[in-house]
Amino acid sequence: MKRLLPLIVGALSGLVVLAAMFFVPQGSAILSAVLNWVIAVASVALLVAIASLVLTHLRFIAKGKKGFLLSIVLVVSFITTLALGILLGVDNPIFLRLVGAIIRPIETALLGLVALVMMSAAMKIFRERGWSALTVSFGISAIVFLILGLGFLQNLKIPVLNEAIRFVEGLPMIGARGLLIGIGIGLLMMAFRVLFGMEGSGND
Amino acid sequence: MTEDHAELNLCPNCGKENLPMATRCVHCGSDMESLFTIFGQSQDPDEQSEDSLPDIIEEIRNDPSLKTPAEVAPIPEIQPAEQIDESLLNSEELPDWLAKVRERAQEEEDAIGDLASSTIAMDVARSEEASAGVEEEFNAWINRIREKSQQENSVRARQLPDDSEDPDQVPDWLQRIRALRPQSEEEITHEVKTNPSYVDEMPREWTDEALEELRRQALAEDQEQETEPLTPASTISDERELPAEPEMEELSEPVQKEPELLEEDFHNIPDDEEELQELLPEDDLSHSSEAEETIAEEAMEDTPEPGEIVAPQDEPDTLVKEALEEPGQGIPQQGDIQPEEPEPEESVSEKVPEEAPIEPVELELSPEEQDKEPEEEEQPTDSAAVPPDLLLLRDQQNRASLLASLIEQEGRVTAGKQAIQKPSGRGGRLAVALLLLIGLVVSILIGPAAMPADAPKSIPAIALSDQIQTLTENDEVLIVLDYQAATSRELEALAAPLLEQLHTQGANLAFLTTQPSGLFLAQSLLEQAGLAEDTQVEYLPGSYLSLISRAMNPAISDGQGALSQVQDLRSFRLVLLVSDSADNIRGWLEQIAPWIESLNFAAVTTQMEAPVLLPYFDSGQLVGYAAGIADGNIGSQPVFSYRAYRVGLLLMLVMLLLGMISKGEADAIQREEERAE
Repeated sequence: MKRLLPLIVGALSGLVVLAAMFFVPQGSAILSAVLNWVIAVASVALLVAIASLVLTHLRFIAKGKKGFLLSIVLVVSFITTLALGILLGVDNPIFLRLVGAIIRPIETALLGLVALVMMSAAMKIFRERGWSALTVSFGISAIVFLILGLGFLQNLKIPVLNEAIRFVEGLPMIGARGLLIGIGIGLLMMAFRVLFGMEGSGND
Repeated sequence: MTEDHAELNLCPNCGKENLPMATRCVHCGSDMESLFTIFGQSQDPDEQSEDSLPDIIEEIRNDPSLKTPAEVAPIPEIQPAEQIDESLLNSEELPDWLAKVRERAQEEEDAIGDLASSTIAMDVARSEEASAGVEEEFNAWINRIREKSQQENSVRARQLPDDSEDPDQVPDWLQRIRALRPQSEEEITHEVKTNPSYVDEMPREWTDEALEELRRQALAEDQEQETEPLTPASTISDERELPAEPEMEELSEPVQKEPELLEEDFHNIPDDEEELQELLPEDDLSHSSEAEETIAEEAMEDTPEPGEIVAPQDEPDTLVKEALEEPGQGIPQQGDIQPEEPEPEESVSEKVPEEAPIEPVELELSPEEQDKEPEEEEQPTDSAAVPPDLLLLRDQQNRASLLASLIEQEGRVTAGKQAIQKPSGRGGRLAVALLLLIGLVVSILIGPAAMPADAPKSIPAIALSDQIQTLTENDEVLIVLDYQAATSRELEALAAPLLEQLHTQGANLAFLTTQPSGLFLAQSLLEQAGLAEDTQVEYLPGSYLSLISRAMNPAISDGQGALSQVQDLRSFRLVLLVSDSADNIRGWLEQIAPWIESLNFAAVTTQMEAPVLLPYFDSGQLVGYAAGIADGNIGSQPVFSYRAYRVGLLLMLVMLLLGMISKGEADAIQREEERAE
């Protein structure tokens, strides 16, 4: 029963949403209610995650665990942001500018590090994986698109070359289309598994 | 049963049967003592006088038939019992029946029983033997303990180094020899006079006490020789017969007794002297006395272990010559072990004679091995070390030293083949990062290079531009902000010109954000687009999922009223998705667009996500999208450093080529190595 009940609930929910999609506009009210439930549950889950995060770091601070200074920073930042948001309001320009001035450089720097890591990985991939179809195709495509990204060839303004460049730039569409089709088929199979109770979502 | 009845006694009063041991009738209670009659005695109790009891006892005692072997040899444990019996017999309170029983027992030979008497005698004999054996064992045990303690004391006294070590590092055995021979000219006389203590039996172990005694004797005789002329060597035997001084005899007695107790112990001094004599030249050996030779020879005879160097008694000089013929043994040691003058008493200190038997081996060792010797000496004695007092052949010593060195080197790290450490790659990564940073910094410092204004755009970007141009005044356009701060710079640079163009054309813009961070990110975008700061940006929780029902049934959205700007999606002519996630854009296109056919969707996304959107543009679900620097003509914007962007791309290209080249070089080296092999 412990495993069967989630399967039944999942299958019924999927069938109801599917039926609502087909029976428009009669089923739109049910669909709206179910989707609102999803949003509410997701919001509550987000609150629970925030509370768990804060409690975990408060525990670290209480125990004096290694790195508890960072936990202090996190808790202080959280409390400050929460207090300012409650006092000033989330639409306050000062509050928004303050938060944006902190988050924007941090995330941009992280993305710059990602660029460095990607470049290092691109350099090491040939040593680690050797010469294979995957690495060779990766290397060639990367070189081609890096050259195209520089814009030197486009600035030559050669019509034939421009046509060739457009053709090359359209090649990723082939892979992306195959990727999207694969994603769609995968989602369909997963939906069938959930509907027929074959997915072990209630194993735990 | 008949026998039982026959043995039953009849009561003389009532005539009924009673058990034979009953003294009173169980029926009438009358006394039945009269039934216990003893043969040869009066059966009438009245006739039995008490005065006759001592006579009876005396008769029993004198009866030789009743005497046991134990009684012949008086036993102290039994005598008190007899005395007690006598006292009891003599006492008037002794019951009559007991006296009768005892009388009967005395008369009958088997009353006490030969078996019992023999057992008693055997016990007595055993107790005597046991007591004697215990005493013997106890005495032997005490003797063993004493012997052991004496052995330990002597060994400890010999092995413990003295604190006042000689700076010249003279071995202990050599110091003892020096003490024995203070003057080379008078050695013979000294040794002869000290020999009487050891003439009969040579001590197998020279203790400190014995050496001290010898030295004292030598010193005392030195004083005598100062006044008396030197005794000739021919008088040695006569002097041996002379009685030693009383003090010396007293001192020598324990010395003589000690070696007897330590017959099985190892012996150092005589053997060392044997070796020393072997190594000495003839000139030096001529000074040694006959007594020393006999001491050494007898010591060697007492220890006939296999492998030892046994000095022949008849030819002592031959071994010495053989030893001298061996290179590097006798001559270098000669100076060390033959000092011309005896050292003072204070300098004669005891040392552990470790080097004496190993010296010949050490001379043959290589310099590297000699360097290792101090380390070996510092280490505690273990099973691998050669005992200093053990007399071995030369090859045995060599093998022992080799084995000891092997044991010492066991477990040590040798300079073998070391594993080649793989480069961690940190240096390469650091070089890459530094190169990239330097290039970017330099390109930024030089200044932004203007992007060509007529740089060609991609087809989706052209389509998007055309779609925007088709919009007229008061057309509703929904702007959905769905990106993070990390990509805000790229997306804002793309979206700001489009928003500016829409605003210029007079379109009504409604802003939604599906991310909490979109609230403050929108401010920057509005600034760059030249829009008013008070432009309302509404937060849409749940992203496009919350809009599905509104897209399906506009009636539901009328009653919600949560979003002031988005009452009905059908009122918008264009939905511009500014997102850094192709999945979110795909969700809008797959979940919302099918319900509203009149609604056009366009997108502004990062160049990384653009290829995923290409099929949607190809299928017409997207009217156009802008991605990358060229599509938004971002290079012409002052906030964007086009030179840095290009330098970054160039560095990435170089790194990629370097990786490929290094891999090709490694393969070539490997092929060369394979060919060489």
